[in-house]
Amino acid sequence: MISWRSQAGVAALALILFFGTARCGMASGLLDAIGIENQYANIIQQIGGNFVSVTAIITNPNTDPHTFEVSPKIVSKITSASLVVENGLGYDAWANKIIEAAPSRRRKIINVQHLLGLPNSTPNPHLWYDPKAISAVAKAIAADLTTLDPAHAAFFNDRLRRFDESLRAWMAAINSFKARYPDTPVAVTEPVANYMLQALGTRIETPFSLQLAIMNGTDPSPQDIAAENALLREHKVKALVYNRQVMTPLTESFLNTAKKNGIPVVAVYETMPTPGYDFQSWMRAEIQALTKAVAMGASTESLLPASEPPPPARLF
Amino acid sequence: MFSPAKFITAAGFFHNSAVHVALAIGGSAAVVSAIVGVFTVLRAQSFAGHALADISSAGGSAALLFGLPPLVGFLAMAMLAASGMEVVGSRQIRERDLVSGVVLGAGLGVTALFLYLDVSMTTASNAANMVMFGSMFTMAPETMIPALWVAVLALAMCVLLYRPLLLIAIDPDIAAIRGLNVRLIGLLYLLTLSIAVALSAMTIGAILSTALLIGPAATAIRWSRRPGSAMVIASVIAISATWGGIFLAYASFYWTPNHGWPVSFFIVAIIFLAYLASGRTTALARLRRAMAG
Repeated sequence: MISWRSQAGVAALALILFFGTARCGMASGLLDAIGIENQYANIIQQIGGNFVSVTAIITNPNTDPHTFEVSPKIVSKITSASLVVENGLGYDAWANKIIEAAPSRRRKIINVQHLLGLPNSTPNPHLWYDPKAISAVAKAIAADLTTLDPAHAAFFNDRLRRFDESLRAWMAAINSFKARYPDTPVAVTEPVANYMLQALGTRIETPFSLQLAIMNGTDPSPQDIAAENALLREHKVKALVYNRQVMTPLTESFLNTAKKNGIPVVAVYETMPTPGYDFQSWMRAEIQALTKAVAMGASTESLLPASEPPPPARLF
Repeated sequence: MFSPAKFITAAGFFHNSAVHVALAIGGSAAVVSAIVGVFTVLRAQSFAGHALADISSAGGSAALLFGLPPLVGFLAMAMLAASGMEVVGSRQIRERDLVSGVVLGAGLGVTALFLYLDVSMTTASNAANMVMFGSMFTMAPETMIPALWVAVLALAMCVLLYRPLLLIAIDPDIAAIRGLNVRLIGLLYLLTLSIAVALSAMTIGAILSTALLIGPAATAIRWSRRPGSAMVIASVIAISATWGGIFLAYASFYWTPNHGWPVSFFIVAIIFLAYLASGRTTALARLRRAMAG
């Protein structure tokens, strides 16, 4: 494992050095942009095309982004960028601190929470699952890129138009699910995909206090645990939508209970699974997985068949 | 609003499988910790007990990283540390504390590393909370049987070691003259202490497990001068605190804003209140004696 990792590290370093030096020589007009979460980075890339150099900070779909720890290298990257897109709502509070510590007039910041005018008390921070939010984020990215690089305004506008069109396909998929499977009862482990589940017209039966306890890593109450188990045992839900990136002995036991009772499970991600997905195809894959669960009772435990994450923690 | 009548008629408490597991494992951890705790207080090894508990967190966090059962992790690390303490240990309390303190610091440093690796490499994002402060209601039901067996083993060791340990606690020199292998018995005691610490680390967390080990024993020793009865009293206090804490945590669902406070808080709070109350009774008794005399 270690030798594989170090080899990969050396290879990555070589690539960075190669492209890094190459870029310094030829493309001085490139805008440095950062998406703190890789889904936002992906949208910047889609709109900025070849005129931006985008870096994503949170990219690992096998760990919990809520527990991300920052390194000095990341700090210097963020402070030197021209455009930063952050989620807000405490999800990436560390990024905000870095930005505030190094103020710059030239740098553009898009805080998705502030963009949508959401109060700090908003309980569910997973804003990218909300189609309306993503549309606003794309628009803000295009506007900021235009300000930073007015010469390519037409290009950014064209890319924004194309992105919006692809969002319409996402909305169409949402609306067709809503029409075909209205008011579908589902259980969840966390509020990860809740904005989309609400848009899909599903009824989330899991107590919100349980979702919060699992998301925040605090002690869940036995009443809530019993309520979730009852939903699965008594077949009161059509699917268990679980956060692939936060697996505890408790969520593992919910998964087992669901499987034992023939309730299909659907994995959702906080971080865009890579490689193989862009933002839109990821969202479509999540809707397809839920459709498969509701229509055929089929489970989807990973959107990435190639590389399986390490076995989750368990108790005996 | 929480109403006791509604609570009892709803009767969810006794039909909740998470509560069953917590009552069983928590209860066994309480009894073992209370009895071993009396030896610990008599031998003036409270700090060693605390150190073992803190070090065991390295095992608990490593277990999450490698997908092993946490009980195995806690137990292995505590036993390793106990053996280490015995090897480098000294009979002088001051030096013993020094060794314990140094090993404790190193152990917690390793815990910091493993907890970081847990959250950055695996999906166990509640690792820190679970290892340090416990999460009784999320223990897997399959943990119950192994935990109970480990508890039975610890109690058997206590019965076996009862007389020699007390004799050593009173006067190690006489014990040695009588032909007791003081070091061997000391090691066996530390291993039993490891079991107690691992069990309570699994339930109320590595950092808080000292409370269950020392609190009931210290309270009982204030009430009773005889080791046997002190052990019975300590067990009663520990069980009452643990089961009472589980009940209060369950009930707090109805009167806290986010549906429930941590069970570890309630258990430790009850133990602390019992200790305060016992101080008062002895003070009162002393006062009455003084007034009578």
